[in-house]
Amino acid sequence: MRVLLRRGFFYLVTAWAAISLNFLLPRIMPGNPADALIEKFHGKLSPTAVQALRVLFGQSHASLWQQYLDYWHNIFTGNFGTSYAYYPTPVSDVLGQSIGWTLVLITVCTVLGFVIGTTLGMIVGWKRGSRLDSLIPITTLLSSIPYFWFAICVVLVFAIILKWFPLSGGYSVTETIGLNWGFISSATYYAVLPALTIVVASIGGWLIGMRNMMVTTLSEDYVKLAEAKGLPKRRVMFTYAARNAMLPSFSSFAMSLGFVVGGSIVTEVVFNYPGIGTVLFKAAQAQDYPLMQGIFLVITVTVLIANMLADLAYVFLDPRTREG
Amino acid sequence: MAITTATVTEAETTDSTGTSRFAWLRAFKRPWTLTGIIVVAVFCVLAVIGPWISPYDPSQVSKTTLAPPSLHHLLGTTQTGQDILSQMLYGTQVSMIVGVLAAVIATLLSVIVGLAAGYLGGISDEVLSLLANVFLVIPALPLTVILAAYLPKTGSFGIILVISITGWAWGARVLRAQTLSLRKRDFVEAARATGERTSSIIFRDIFPNQVAIIAASFLGTVTGAILTQASLAFLGLTNVTEWSWGTILYWAQVSSALLTGAWWWFVPAGLAIAFLGTGLSLVNFGIDEFINPRLRQAGIGTKKAQRAQVKAKRMRSVKRRTRDHDRGPVVPYRPGSSDVILELDGLRVDYVAESSVTTAVNDVSLTLRRGEVLGIAGESGSGKSTLAHAITRLHKPPAEISAGTMTYHNADGSTSDILTMSDDELREFRWEELAIVFQSAMHALNPILTVGAQIEDAIKAHRPQMTTHERAARVLELLELVGIQADRVSAYPHELSGGMRQRAMIAVGLALDPEIIVMDEPTTALDVVIQRQIVEKIIELKDRLGFSVIFITHDLSLLIEMSDTIAVMYAGRVVELADADEFYRNPRHPYSQGLLNSFPTLSGPKRELTGIPGAPPDLRKLPTGCAFNPRCPLAFDRCTNVVPPLFELAGRAEWRQAQAACLLYEGDGQAGQAEDSDDATDRVPQEAR
Repeated sequence: MRVLLRRGFFYLVTAWAAISLNFLLPRIMPGNPADALIEKFHGKLSPTAVQALRVLFGQSHASLWQQYLDYWHNIFTGNFGTSYAYYPTPVSDVLGQSIGWTLVLITVCTVLGFVIGTTLGMIVGWKRGSRLDSLIPITTLLSSIPYFWFAICVVLVFAIILKWFPLSGGYSVTETIGLNWGFISSATYYAVLPALTIVVASIGGWLIGMRNMMVTTLSEDYVKLAEAKGLPKRRVMFTYAARNAMLPSFSSFAMSLGFVVGGSIVTEVVFNYPGIGTVLFKAAQAQDYPLMQGIFLVITVTVLIANMLADLAYVFLDPRTREG
Repeated sequence: MAITTATVTEAETTDSTGTSRFAWLRAFKRPWTLTGIIVVAVFCVLAVIGPWISPYDPSQVSKTTLAPPSLHHLLGTTQTGQDILSQMLYGTQVSMIVGVLAAVIATLLSVIVGLAAGYLGGISDEVLSLLANVFLVIPALPLTVILAAYLPKTGSFGIILVISITGWAWGARVLRAQTLSLRKRDFVEAARATGERTSSIIFRDIFPNQVAIIAASFLGTVTGAILTQASLAFLGLTNVTEWSWGTILYWAQVSSALLTGAWWWFVPAGLAIAFLGTGLSLVNFGIDEFINPRLRQAGIGTKKAQRAQVKAKRMRSVKRRTRDHDRGPVVPYRPGSSDVILELDGLRVDYVAESSVTTAVNDVSLTLRRGEVLGIAGESGSGKSTLAHAITRLHKPPAEISAGTMTYHNADGSTSDILTMSDDELREFRWEELAIVFQSAMHALNPILTVGAQIEDAIKAHRPQMTTHERAARVLELLELVGIQADRVSAYPHELSGGMRQRAMIAVGLALDPEIIVMDEPTTALDVVIQRQIVEKIIELKDRLGFSVIFITHDLSLLIEMSDTIAVMYAGRVVELADADEFYRNPRHPYSQGLLNSFPTLSGPKRELTGIPGAPPDLRKLPTGCAFNPRCPLAFDRCTNVVPPLFELAGRAEWRQAQAACLLYEGDGQAGQAEDSDDATDRVPQEAR
C-alpha cells in the first residue's frame, strides 16, 4: 500500500506542477499577446471579457500570489473563462462538448492497441528466431509513420476511393446526440477510420516492446523450470513468460500513452472529429489562450488518471509491489 | 558472435560487462542494423546536398499545376505549380536540422539530469527524478502545441527549443537507473576511494559506459523530434513558408490535395518520415541487442537451430508405458548395484556459432543407479551445468546435442531414449521421472505466483484426474516434507528467506515423486549454515523417498560428503569417476588431486592446501592432447599428443571400479588403447559444418 500512497503523492505533485505551469505560461511568454488579441477582436469583446483576458496574462493590479489564488479558485469552480474561437461560449462548455468524443475514442483505441500489440508481441517473442521475426521491420515502419499522415492515407483509400466510410466528422448530421440507437451506430460508423488509424499506428510500439521483454523473460530460470516441470505450453507462455514480460509495459505506460494522446490529437484534426484535438487545433490557430489552458488541464488530468489506473493494474499484477 | 564460455549464463555476464568500451560497434554488423545505418546515412547526405541538387526553387510557381509525377517534375507539382521534389529536398534539410538539434539539446539535458540524479543520490535524486517523471507524465504534444502557439511564427529555433524541453525526460530516467547501478560497481567505488573528484568520476568512469544508452536515447529523440516538428508544421503552427516535410503536408491539406486526388503531393513527405524513422529504429535495435545480450541470442535461435536441439540420429522410440505410481519399497543404494536408471553414452553438446563450433560437453558416459547420489564436480566452464541442462533436454540454441545417447530405464524394466522423445513424450517424462533443482531459487521461482501455485501446477499438468482438494492436500504434504509451515502456501517467493525458497524449490521438485532429481548447484547461493540444513534435508528425503540424485557443484568437500559416486569434469570431459570414499582417499587424476588439495573439508584429517596453477581452459582453444596438460605438474611429452580415455583402475572389489583419464595409468588396467594423436585434432574446435 505504501507504493500506492507514494504514487498518489506523485500524481498530486504532477497535477500541481501542470496546473501551475498553466498559470505561469501566459505570464512568461514574450510579447504582448493580450493586446494583440484584444486588437484582433476589436470592439467585439465585452468589457468583462477584456478584463478576463488581461487577468489571464497577469495584467492586473493584484499581486502575483493573489492572482495565483484566484486562478486556483477558478479551477475548482470550473470557471475557465470565455473562449474566443467559439466566442462567446464559456471554455467549460466547449470542453464539455468535446471531451466525451476524445475520451471514448482514445480509451477504446488504447485498450485495443495494447491488447493486440501485446498479444502479437508475445507470440513473436515466443517464436523468436522463426519467420515471424520478419514482422519486426514491418511493424517498425508502421510505428514510424506519422499518425496524421496515415490518417490521410486511410481517408484517401477508404473514404475517397472506396467510399466505405465517411470523410470526416463524428456522426451523421441527421442524428441527434443522445443515448439512442441511431446516434450510437452513426457515431460508431464515423469512428471506424480514426480508430483504425490510431490502433494500427500504435500497435508497433507495443509489439516491439513486448517482443523484446518476452525474449528477455524466456531465458529466465523460472521459465526454464516451468518447461522442465512439463507444464502445458500455454501455461508456460502465459502464466510464466507473458505475465512477467508485460510488467514493464505498465511502468512505461506514461510514455506510451503520451504518444497515443499526441497522435490522436493530430488524427482528430485530419478527420475533423468533434473531439478535443480538433478544438485544440482551432484554439491554437485562433490563439484562444483560455481555451488552450482549459484543454491542457483536461488532457493532463485525464492522462494522470489513466496512469493511476495503470499503476493500480501493476500492483494487481505484480505481488512484489504489494509489500510493506 | 562466439560463445566465450561454456554455459549460457556465464556467456551473458561476460558479454554484458563488455571488454571494450567500443564493443557496441560490433552490433552494427547485423544486416538489419546495417540497413538502418544506410537509410539514415542517405537522409543525412540528402539533408546536406539537398538544396544544391534540387532542380527548381521550391517556392517558385509555374503553370504546370497539379501535374502528376513526370520526367520534368519527378514527384509532380502542387496546386500553384511548385516542384514537389525540390520542396522535399529542401524539406529534408529543415526537418533533419530540427530533429538533430532538438535531440542534441534534449539528450544533453537528459544526460545532465540523469547522471546527476543517479550519481548524487539523496535529495537531489528525489527532486530531479520527480522533475523527470512529471515531464514524462504530462502529455508532450498538447504542451508543445500550446508552447508553439504562444511563440507564433518564431521559425525553427523556437520549435527546436520547445521540442527539446518536452522530450528529455525519458532519456533522463533511463540514464538515472543506469548510473545508479554503475555507481555500485567496483571500478566506480575504487575511483571514489582514491579520492577522485565527483565530476571526473562521472565523466571518466560512468559516462563512457553509457555511450550505448545515450546513443539509443539520442536516436529515439531524433525520431520523436522529427515527428513532432511534422505534426506542428502540419497543424500550421510553424513558419509555413519555410519548407519542411511537415509544411509540405500542411499545404497539401490546406489545398485539399486529397479531394483532388493529388496523392503525389502528400505521399513522399510521409514516406520520408516513415523511412527515416524506421532507419533510426533499426539502428536502435542493434544498440538494444548490444545492451541486452539476451535479445542477441534470440537471433541465433534460427528455426533450424530450434528444431535441431538434438542432432544425434533419431531412432524409433519405444513407447513408454504410463508409470505405476506405487514404486514399491525404498531400497537403499549399495555400492556395486547394477540397478541402472539413467545411462549416458558418449554424450556431446556443442555451442554452434556462425563460424565455429565449441564443444562444451565431450564424450561423456555415465550411469546412474537407483537410489544413488552421483556427484559431478568441476570448475566453472567445465561443462557441468551444460550437462545438467542436456540431461533434462532444457538446453537452448546455440547449444545442441550432437552425439551420444541418453537412456532412461523405467521401473517395469523397459527403456526409453530421452533424445528421441517427441515434445509430448518429453513433457510427460519431465518431472514425472526426472526433476531439476536450479542454483538460485530466487530466479527459478516465478515471482508472480505463490509457492503453492507453483507446486500445484506441476501436479495439475501430470495428474489431471486429481481433484482440487487432493492437490491442495498434496501441496501441504510436500511443504511439510521440506519443513515449510503450511501457512506459507500462499506466500510469494519474495516473501520467503533464501533458505525457505530453496526448500520450496525442492518441494516443487518432489511434487510428482520423481525417480531422478538433478540438482544444479542447489546450495551455492546460500550461506554455510543454511547450506548445511538444505543438504541434510536432501539426504533425509532421499533416504525416505528413494530417488536418485545427480548433484552438481564446484564444492568438492560437500560433494564427497553426500555423494555415493563422484565424477570430475574438466574441459567438457569426465576425467575421473570413482566411489566417493575411494576418491577422497586416493584421487587418481592429477586434476582431482589438485582440486582436493585446494578445498578444506568439513570433516576429516587436516592437510596442506595447495591448489592448481593456471586458469581454467578456454574451450575454443583447447590444448592438444590432454586438456589439462598445461596445468599438470606430472605432464610428460605424450600428454600433448594423446587424448587419454578413461582407464579402469583397480579398487576395492565391492565398489564401482575407479576410472581416470590420465596417461599415468596407461597399461595399469585393461582399458582400450589410447587414441592416436591424429584423433586429437578432433578435440579442438572444429570449423563450421
